Amino acid sequence: MFRKPKRKLYSLIFVLPTFAAFVIGFIYPFFSGVYLSFCKFRTTSNAKFIGFDNYIKAFQNEGFIRSFWFTALFVIVSVVLINLIAFFVAYALTLGIRGSNVFRTVFFMPNLIGGIILGYIWQLIFNGILKNYGTNLALNANYGFWGLVILMCWQQAGYMMIIYIAGFQSVPGDLYEAAKIDGANKHQLLRNVTIPMMMPSITICTFLTLTNSFKLFDQNLALTGGAPGVVSEGGTMVYQTQMMALNIYRTFYENANSRGVGQAEAVIFFIIVVVIALAQLAFTRKREVQQ
Amino acid sequence: MAKVQAIPKEKKPKKRQTLGMRILTILFSIISVFYVLPVFIVLMNSFKTNAGISSEPFSFPNAETFYGFKSYITGMFFGNFPFYKTILCSLFITVGGVFLILLCTSMCAWYLSRSNSIICKIIYYFCIFSMVVPFQMVMFTLSKTADTLNLTTPWGILIIYLGFGAGLAVFMFTGFVKSIPIEIEEAADVDGAGPMRTFFGVVLPIMKPTVISVGILETMWIWNDYLLPYLILDKGKYKTIPIHIQYLNGSYGHTDTSAIMALIVLSIVPIIIFYFSCQKYIIEGVVAGAVKG
Amino acid sequence: MKRKIFKSIAAVGMACFIAVSCMAGCSTDGGTEKKGTVFYLNFKPEQDKAWQNLAKAYTEETGVNVKVTTAAEGTYEETLTAEMDKDNAPTLFQVNGPIGLANWDEDCMDLEGTDVYNELTSKDYALKNTDGVVKGIAYVIETYGIIYNRTILQKYCDSDFATVKKIEDINSFDKLKTVADEIQANAEALGVKGAFTSTGMDSSSDWRFKTHLANIPVYYEYKDENITSTKEIKGTYLDNYKNIFDLYITDSTTKPTDLANKTGTDSETEFIKGQAVFFQNGSWEYGVLTEAGMKDEDLGMLPIYIGVEGEENQGLCTGSENYWVVNANSSEEDQQATLDFMKWCVTSETGTKAMADEMNFVIPFKSAKEATNIFVKTDKEMTEAGKTPVSWNFTTMPSENWKDGVGVALTQYAAGTGKWEDVVKAFVDGWKTEYAKVS
Repeated sequence: MFRKPKRKLYSLIFVLPTFAAFVIGFIYPFFSGVYLSFCKFRTTSNAKFIGFDNYIKAFQNEGFIRSFWFTALFVIVSVVLINLIAFFVAYALTLGIRGSNVFRTVFFMPNLIGGIILGYIWQLIFNGILKNYGTNLALNANYGFWGLVILMCWQQAGYMMIIYIAGFQSVPGDLYEAAKIDGANKHQLLRNVTIPMMMPSITICTFLTLTNSFKLFDQNLALTGGAPGVVSEGGTMVYQTQMMALNIYRTFYENANSRGVGQAEAVIFFIIVVVIALAQLAFTRKREVQQ
Repeated sequence: MAKVQAIPKEKKPKKRQTLGMRILTILFSIISVFYVLPVFIVLMNSFKTNAGISSEPFSFPNAETFYGFKSYITGMFFGNFPFYKTILCSLFITVGGVFLILLCTSMCAWYLSRSNSIICKIIYYFCIFSMVVPFQMVMFTLSKTADTLNLTTPWGILIIYLGFGAGLAVFMFTGFVKSIPIEIEEAADVDGAGPMRTFFGVVLPIMKPTVISVGILETMWIWNDYLLPYLILDKGKYKTIPIHIQYLNGSYGHTDTSAIMALIVLSIVPIIIFYFSCQKYIIEGVVAGAVKG
Repeated sequence: MKRKIFKSIAAVGMACFIAVSCMAGCSTDGGTEKKGTVFYLNFKPEQDKAWQNLAKAYTEETGVNVKVTTAAEGTYEETLTAEMDKDNAPTLFQVNGPIGLANWDEDCMDLEGTDVYNELTSKDYALKNTDGVVKGIAYVIETYGIIYNRTILQKYCDSDFATVKKIEDINSFDKLKTVADEIQANAEALGVKGAFTSTGMDSSSDWRFKTHLANIPVYYEYKDENITSTKEIKGTYLDNYKNIFDLYITDSTTKPTDLANKTGTDSETEFIKGQAVFFQNGSWEYGVLTEAGMKDEDLGMLPIYIGVEGEENQGLCTGSENYWVVNANSSEEDQQATLDFMKWCVTSETGTKAMADEMNFVIPFKSAKEATNIFVKTDKEMTEAGKTPVSWNFTTMPSENWKDGVGVALTQYAAGTGKWEDVVKAFVDGWKTEYAKVS
């Protein structure tokens, strides 16, 4: 396509704008970020290499460890719930019930609203309900946890539902016919025909909910902001409903002397996300081979 | 109602509504009401006084708590950075950012997938890699870089969005370009069209569905993004909607709940109208994006 | 097909262009002049507007560009950290006292001998670092205590059920408690909802208790030990702290369980509407209260009594946690421009007027305007009557995180989900841990 003489020129026109922005917006920040995680620094100009100290401190940081477990628990619960709800709603909506299109439109709507705004909307609602029982989100970590789960289900179930609906619609009708002729009942149809054929959609949705929940920040900040805190053994305060992304952010900007630790935590966070992505990829490959 | 229709074109002909299906319709109707209820509650509260919101958040405004449009007015014009400017800022960044991403990354993706050089391969894999990197990883260095290069204006942030959003867009466009038979382009080439004309005249029109998908995904991302503009924009001068709403909470020494409610209404009503008017494209775009991504 | 795509691109491009032209409004970039520019990162959100106006006035008068940015409540340290890393870092910012200065010491220039420094009425208002170098200058002196509604309190004193018959007689914790208890018991007769406004523990209000109220036990402990700061606090007066906090949440307009979400605005509104008699806050509230229609004769301020021996001689809490510091890393022109701006603020007609009337500040500078602030007057009278003002020792509290810890423990204690022991733990153990972290 691109003939030799003008090749350079065209590569400049076509690739350079994106590539230059990509270097500014990703490549350079990423690598200097990795480097800085091994440094003690207040500003980038006075970084001093100190090896793994930041990582050791990160693992001693009670808030970070706690945010990890909170995030892990949240991810498990929300991934399972969102996918179950979305799957069955999608199933019901492809049965051909009246008003399917309206329901589909309504359930997808929350996705267009930003996380910060969603957080405030639900804060108002939860506190309004909890007020009647003499408590609120800032008092009990359980409310904060389930509040976040409900918020995420409300927001994400619609998105996943759309993908599942597309999945259901792509299952060829002949398969069902063939299975019916073989005498399969409804339950068997679902288990032996629908679910295997739906595996690609399930994989995509699991992956999307997994990464979305793991990286959650805006909703967490606006809904609870990490509250309630709890006074730990050492007498310092640790937030109970703070997820990893928010914890890293706070470590970073709370105190100019803990920046290296914050950056190290970010690298750890990044590695966890990559491991999840790789596991996901491996899982998908394995399944594709089997088919 | 119980007509049996035979529509050959549709995959599934309209089915007879059994009892179970009717129950489902009723059930989903109820759930739908609960789905829109939160938005409605916010709308209701935006007409109440602060005290009214905190004492009885779920009731209609009454004589004592009714505040009319006052909170809209204070919300819209309060402070040295009024909300209407915020809306313009958000609009500019979203439209500009999406436009830039679509234009640049589609060109880039086409070149990358039609070229066999090693450098192109490396760039492509970096793009895929960037999709899994969480923002916190580059948060600090990115804002520092943006500051050094003076990209802290709504113009500058477009470049940051192009850079940080390139991964997904390049990935999706490349996936699509690979499915376009190269013969079409070669034909155009034989007709004497250079790469520029080939791209804009032949390739881009074919890519239209992907352009829409990418456009919708990037719009949803940029419009609602909080942390990136928060760290990068010069906040004294520019704010986006999420920043503005977060800032209202606890700044100026007071939390004006009813102004927050009013601004939430102002910022989601346009989105919802936009959504209902072209929901078909949005939903299709999302599906296409998800299945490929 | 081809046309259509081009059309839509053109349309998007146009939309983009229109948005850009609209943006002209929000992109008024002044461009850097050779004169040097001032960038002030303001700490006080309630004064944001006044500072913006003052900056504008200065630019009009001298042509020097002044940019003022205000951090949202509770995010100053975070915003400062982010801003200081930028190329256009603030030239003028604030530290809250010795602890704040320790964090930023290397970024602050020596202010000894500058015009602003020479304008100070007393050199005690300058902040020195551990080596004795003048780094910060207090630009506002503030007073806090228990603001009361004089009309209602007088009504109480005149009632049959009142044990305390004169407002001036309230000079100890026991008397304060008696008054508050009796007001609470006879709330209906007095037409109030409670003695104290809600002790809101939302972030817009909790600093009144985790910082300002906590200052009193710290003050008495420092006084006992004859020190001005410590790395390990004993918590000698924490029982007194508990007593006063208990009083606040019991004799209140609001159930203790509802306090966690109550905001500063909530309790302000209650006070303005006359739903409560007492309101712990400071001289900075004067503007809000008078704007809402309260008169000077309606207002008074009591010292915060916590039940320590000899407290009848205790005055109001007066001091500063607002020290101006100048960025040592800024260019020389910018530093000069900043110093000129500071001097103008505290000496010029426009500057002193804005600081006195618009911001309601009492500034410790020679050309300061007489403040109209009733609370400041009260403080002056009390000092003249021989009472000892309580100094602001919360500037020696180890970190923001420490304050948050105490705040959280107080919130949970008030709601009944936590014990007082946690407050003690956060106060005493937290102090030690947080100090270790900083140093």
